[in-house]
Formats: sequence, structure tokens, C-alpha cells
Amino acid sequence: MDSSNDEALDIIITNVVATFRTRCHLNLRTIALEGINVIYKPEVGKVLMKLRKPKITASIWSSGKIICTGATSEDDAKLGARRLARCLQKLGFRVRFSDFKVVNVLAVCSMPFAVHLVDFTNNNRPIASYEPELHPAATYRIKTLKATVQVFSTGSITVTGPNVQAVATAVEHIYPLLFEVQKPKHRKD
Amino acid sequence: MRLCKNCGSSDIDVDQSRGDAVCMGCGSVLEDNIIVSEVQFMESSGGGASQAVGQFVSRDDGGKNPTFGEGYYTGSGRESRAQTLANAKRNIQALGRGLQMNQHCLDTAYNFYKMALNKHLTCGRKSSHVLAACLYLVCRTEGTPHMLLDLSDLLQVNVYILGRTFLVLARELCINAPAIDPCLYIPRFAQLLEFGDKNREVTMTALRLVQRMKRDWMHTGRRPAGLCGAALLVAARMHDFRRTSKEIISVVKVCEATLRKRLTEFEDTPTSAMTCEEFMKADLDHDECDPPSFQNGLRNKKMKQLEVELEKKMDDVKDEIEDYQDEIDTELERCRPKLRGVYAAYTKEDAFHPKNQFKDSDSDDDDMDPEVDEELLAVAQHFGKELNELTMEALKKLEESPSAKGEEDDDQEGCRPSLESILGPMPTAASLGLKENMDCLGEENDGDADDGELDLNGIDDDEIECYLLDDGEVKIKTALWMAQNSDYLKEQKEKEARIAKEKELGIYKEKKQRKKGTRRAPIRASTGQEAIEKLLEQKRFSSKINYDVLKDLNIKPVSSPAEPQDGATETPRKPVIRNRRSTHMPLSLATPLTSLGKRLKPFITGQPAKRLALDQIFSGNPLAQSNEVPPSSVVVESGPVVESGPVLESGPVVYDDADEEEEDEDEPCVSAMDLMGSNDYGNDDEDGF
Repeated sequence: MDSSNDEALDIIITNVVATFRTRCHLNLRTIALEGINVIYKPEVGKVLMKLRKPKITASIWSSGKIICTGATSEDDAKLGARRLARCLQKLGFRVRFSDFKVVNVLAVCSMPFAVHLVDFTNNNRPIASYEPELHPAATYRIKTLKATVQVFSTGSITVTGPNVQAVATAVEHIYPLLFEVQKPKHRKD
Repeated sequence: MRLCKNCGSSDIDVDQSRGDAVCMGCGSVLEDNIIVSEVQFMESSGGGASQAVGQFVSRDDGGKNPTFGEGYYTGSGRESRAQTLANAKRNIQALGRGLQMNQHCLDTAYNFYKMALNKHLTCGRKSSHVLAACLYLVCRTEGTPHMLLDLSDLLQVNVYILGRTFLVLARELCINAPAIDPCLYIPRFAQLLEFGDKNREVTMTALRLVQRMKRDWMHTGRRPAGLCGAALLVAARMHDFRRTSKEIISVVKVCEATLRKRLTEFEDTPTSAMTCEEFMKADLDHDECDPPSFQNGLRNKKMKQLEVELEKKMDDVKDEIEDYQDEIDTELERCRPKLRGVYAAYTKEDAFHPKNQFKDSDSDDDDMDPEVDEELLAVAQHFGKELNELTMEALKKLEESPSAKGEEDDDQEGCRPSLESILGPMPTAASLGLKENMDCLGEENDGDADDGELDLNGIDDDEIECYLLDDGEVKIKTALWMAQNSDYLKEQKEKEARIAKEKELGIYKEKKQRKKGTRRAPIRASTGQEAIEKLLEQKRFSSKINYDVLKDLNIKPVSSPAEPQDGATETPRKPVIRNRRSTHMPLSLATPLTSLGKRLKPFITGQPAKRLALDQIFSGNPLAQSNEVPPSSVVVESGPVVESGPVLESGPVVYDDADEEEEDEDEPCVSAMDLMGSNDYGNDDEDGF
């Protein structure tokens, strides 16, 4: 998605987090003992189950709440979640697939120019904050979209938001701001 | 104007000096000992000039509450808010002294803290963190060379935790802290490095270096301290001071690797090529460079490109090499002595297994199972014997012992792959099996019924089967898991035993469940009035009021005063209680405060009179709002008492006669009833008016 620019910016979604409920109590020990690719953490009280095909990791609690992370797209997340539910069904639990919700989407994007972070922060106070002592990136929070963009001085940005659409909008929103404070590149290699 | 209660005349003479209010008609004394708010002057001891009498009391510091009349019950101690503030002030002073900050900064920090307190930002956070964050905020706004690291050193707290608190504070208080300039830190570090006489020169050099670094984009996204360290090192060397990197590190608080990296980056810039004199004289004007990380990125890209090209070339060469390899292999085979007998069987077995994997992957899992089962059963048997050592090596050894028959080398070669093939094939087969199924899962529609039924569209059952272990496998895994988590399981058993014992002894305490902030159910009401009443039932503002009694009062909402009042005051008011008889009013006012005894003292000292002045028309409850109003210690001295009796009466208050008697039950809390001068409070005798 580009905005008034010649090159298209590649927004790569790296992680999608989704939750759903099975509406039934799950016996974690059974899952741990009868499933492949599971890690049981009794101290915390959850089971980590990793699926291979949509490559996702799911945290399963005994209350029936499940969080899936690691998917690369919203559809993938849903498919993975359904696979997981099916798997649990086969283990003998009466699962129902309900309340599926994508909670967080993380994407990275790279600008073709470097960004001057101090100017960027000065222009956009107080939405943007930059603490070099704590983190090398400037954080820009868009309240309306509930999205957070972290801008690095190299020009790469990471965007987290509640869904893919919000992420795309956030990138569009922030592109002109970054364009203003870009560091012109010169210097032959 | 006020009317006399006895004769109804409006001619009342108020004498401020004597503190009396007397009716001119019938002569009855309406008020005695009026509290006045005049300023008195007296001669000061020194020069005889007039000085005002009184003390300056700060609005929020509370502190010394005047005890009036009896001293045995001096209010409820200091108010909680005042104590919090006093503590905060003390701690800020202590921290500030450690950092050598001046008083102005500390005062500003204290103000920040007060702001944070008002916005409830201190809840859920350690007070020390919040204080440190306030201090750091001041440092940033004033531009003092204090780092967050210093504060965390003092407090022994992780920097990032402090940083998080600091960011939240800065955001909530809408304070824009200017970005850190590394130039700020240079003088401070230079001091610590003890350059003696040449301190100033070294500092200037270092400053120029840092400015140059900034132009070269080395400072974005980096800790300013690291840059300073590098600059100081170079500056020191330029002026013939031998400062080792260890010394610099201890002062600047970065690690050696960082310092080295900054120096390397600096080396890459054209500035490094200049000599000392050139650097000092030249105007730092030449082109800016790209930031180092950007350069790194470009470099990586180039490397990748090179690699790709190389690979292409490699491919060409590879074919040739492979031909040669094959030839060599065949030659070697011919030359190698052939294995006889038993060993031949092993070599064949070796070759058998890998092929097996591929063969089985094409078919279902079931085909593979019997074979795998045998081996697994063997393992399981061994498991039964030796549950203690369950490491891979142990498993391997177990594997080796039954099958070791001949020379070790060949056997080991034959055995190890077989072990891996046990643990290997299951996942590999699964993955290969999955690959096949991937094709049939081309299009999927995710149509989940909303009622929670799992839509099996696109989910291949066979594939799911791969994810589940078989019975035999389950047993093995159970054994493995039990052994692995034996410690945890032992703990659990002990805990249960302990609980059982305690239960028998009858001293078992239920584990304290921490209440997770009781969620209030949303209030449903048809009118605003109802909503407010319901809210008041749930929400309790003051610990000094017995809400149950108030609740019992018959709630007769009066429409006309209620509406404008409701609109005007945002804070919820108690059910409107109206003044029932004006006879009681002068009663209460007339009684000297001192004679009211213990019950009312808290209200006298603790009440915010200012609030009363505002609310005097609405009245409602000064009592109910004590939590929200900043405490003022000026109760007694301020506020026109005549109109709004500070505590005793508060305008329109209504209650039914029938419910009067109930207030006797409430003990430590005082009910509004009592205060409103209900009969039982001992004023009966004086009811002679």
C-alpha cells in the first residue's frame, strides 16, 4: 500500500494473535499426554501446543480459553484455530468453536529512506515519544485506530494493531509524517 | 435577612467584636461566640510595627492541626492524603540529595507528584518508582545531566521499569520532555575523569566530536552515554591523556562492546581521517553520513547479492564435482574389504531404515505403527526398569545393549540411526503426510456457525490424527513426563498431604484469594435520580458515615430543588434531606462547638469548609464528599459560619420523624441524623427557646 509514491511499500505481516473459547473444561494432563508437540507447564497452568501447518503456537488453558499466536494472516489464524479445536475434539472433549477474535496483528514495513527520529518526535508531540536510553525506536500511538507504530532510524517500522485493516491505515497515516523528516540519502557505496 | 426565632423580627444585631448576635426585638441571644474571619493586628516585639496575627498554613501540607478546646481527641490523626504528601516530600528530598539536585528542582518534582496523585497515577505503582519518575521528569525538563541510570542505581531498580513509569507519567501529565542531548553529559563525565587543568579543553574537544557525530547520524537511536564515552576517549587521547576504556566504562556506564562499536563507527566517518589540528580548526561542514545501521543494512544487502551470484557459479561447478565424486566412490567401494556375515546384515539394516521412512510416508501411519511399536515397546520395557535416567544418552544406551552383538563401531553406526529413526519417523512422516494433504486443502471457506459448532470444512481428519498419539505412545509419554516433572509432582503431593493434615487439626486456612477488583454491575435505572441513588448505594465515599442509616431514611426526592441541584453538582448526592424544622438550626449553632463532644470533633477538624461554601445552597452532603476534596486545615478559620455552619447544619435537610429513632445503632460512625441536631443528641435540655 503506497500513498502518492512511486514505489509500493511492502507491508509484511509477521504475527497474528487470536483467541477463542471451547466452552468446555479441558483436562490439560490428557492433552499433554496424548498430543504431539505439546508442552505442559503445570506451574503456570497451561499447555502449549504447536501446529505445523499453519505454523502456530497455541496456549491452552483448562477453562477452555485458547490463544493462538504465530500465524501470518487472519485467515491462517482462523484455520489454525479450527484445526486445533478439531484436534481437541478428537481427544474426546466436547469442544465448540466460539468467540473467535483476532486480537493483535504485527507487521513490519521498510521505508526507502532513513528517518530523523528527533525531528519526528518534535513534530509530533505528544503522540510520539522517543527515549534513546530505553529503546532505540520512537513510538507513535494512533489512538483512533488503537495502533502503535515503532519507527527506527533506519527507516523500518513495525506496526501493531487490532486487525490488518488498521495496520494498513496506520502505515498510510504515518508515511507522510516520516517523509517530512527523512534523511536524504547520498553517499555512494 | 435572618429572622429571630422567637419574635420573628428581622432586626438582629451582630457584634463582631463581642461575637454575639442578638435580636433587637425580644432580646434573645441568637448566637454566641461567633467565629469571625477578621484579621487582627498586634504590635510585634522587635520594632513595634503592626503584624497580623495568625499562621500561614499551606493548603495541602496539613501538618499541624490546631487542637481546639479539648486536646484529647485531636481529629483522626492526620488525613491520609496529607500523610502521603508528607512522605512523598521527604522521599523526594532524600533522593534529590543523593543526586545533588537543587531545591528548585525538588520543589518542581514535588509538584509533579501532586499532579500525579490527583490523576490517580500512583495507584498500583510503587511509590518509590513514581517519585523517581517525577524526579527524572524534572531532570529532563530542566536539562540537568542526570541519567535514568543514576536513579535506578540509587533505588536498585531495573531501568526499564523506571522508564515505563516515567513514560506513563510524561504522557498522562502531558509534559513534553525534550530529547536528551549527549552534549549535556560531557561536562559531567569529564569531571569524573579528572582531567585536571586541561579539563575545559578536553571538554570542548569532546563537545565538538559529539556534534560531529550528531551530524554523522551516529546518535539516533543510541544511548547518549555511549556516544559521550567514545567522544571523551578520543578527546582524551588527543590531549595526551591515557584514559583506558575500562575507566571510561566505569564512568559512563556502558559496556566495552558498545564503546568499541561506537569507536568503529566513528572510524568509518571521514572525520576520523583528520588530524587533531585540522579537526579543531576546520568548520564541521562536510557532508553528513548515513546512519551506521543504515549502512549496515546496505552492506548486508550487497553481501546477499554477492552470495546469490556466487551460488549460481557454484551450481555450475557442482555438477562437475559430483561426477568426480561418483567416480571416486565407486573406486573406493571396489577397494574396500567386504563385510561378512552378521555385519552385512547390519549394513543392510542401515540402508533399510531410511528407505523405510520414505516408503511409509506415502501410506498411512498405520503401516508404520507395528514396526515402530516393536522398538518402542522395547524402549518401554527398559523404561519400566530404569525410570531414573531418562536422558537421550540413557535411551541410546538402552537401545545399544540389546542389539550390540559384534564389534562396537559397526554396531553403533547401526544403532544410532535406528534410535533416531524411532524418534524421527513420527514427525517426519507426519510432515510428509501433511504435504500431501496440503493439496486437497486448496480452497477453504471458513463458515463457522455462530452457535459454536465447529465447521469441519477444510480440516482433514487424517491429518489431525497425526497429531494424536497412540495408546502405546501415550504410555511412553506418560512415563517420560512423570519422570521429567517428578519434582513438581512430589511438591504437589506434599502440599496435599499438608492440607489434609491441617484440615484434621482444624487449622486449615483457605488460601487467600486476592479479590480481583470487584466489578460493579452496570446500573440500570430509568431516571437520573434513580441512577444516582443506586450508585450511591453501591459506592461509598466516606468512612465516617454510616451509610446504612442514611439508606434507611425515607428517600423522598423533592423535584424542584433536586433537578437543578442534580444538574449542577456532578458528584452524586445523598437522597435529598430537607431541613425539617428551623427550630433546630439555631439550636445547633448556638451550642458551642466545644460542648458537642467527641462525636463531632472529626467533622470539625476534618471537614473541608471550602467545599461547604460552594455547596451551601445545595447542601447535600459535605460529609459524603470528604474523599474527593483536598483536605484543608483551615476549617476553623475560614468560611462564613453564619450562612453555612461548617458541619452542623448544611442547608436543606429533610428526614422523616418516624426514622429519627434509628440513629442510635450506629456507633463509631456518626450519622447525618445526629449532626443535623436531632433531639437525642443532648440538646434537649437546652430546648428552651
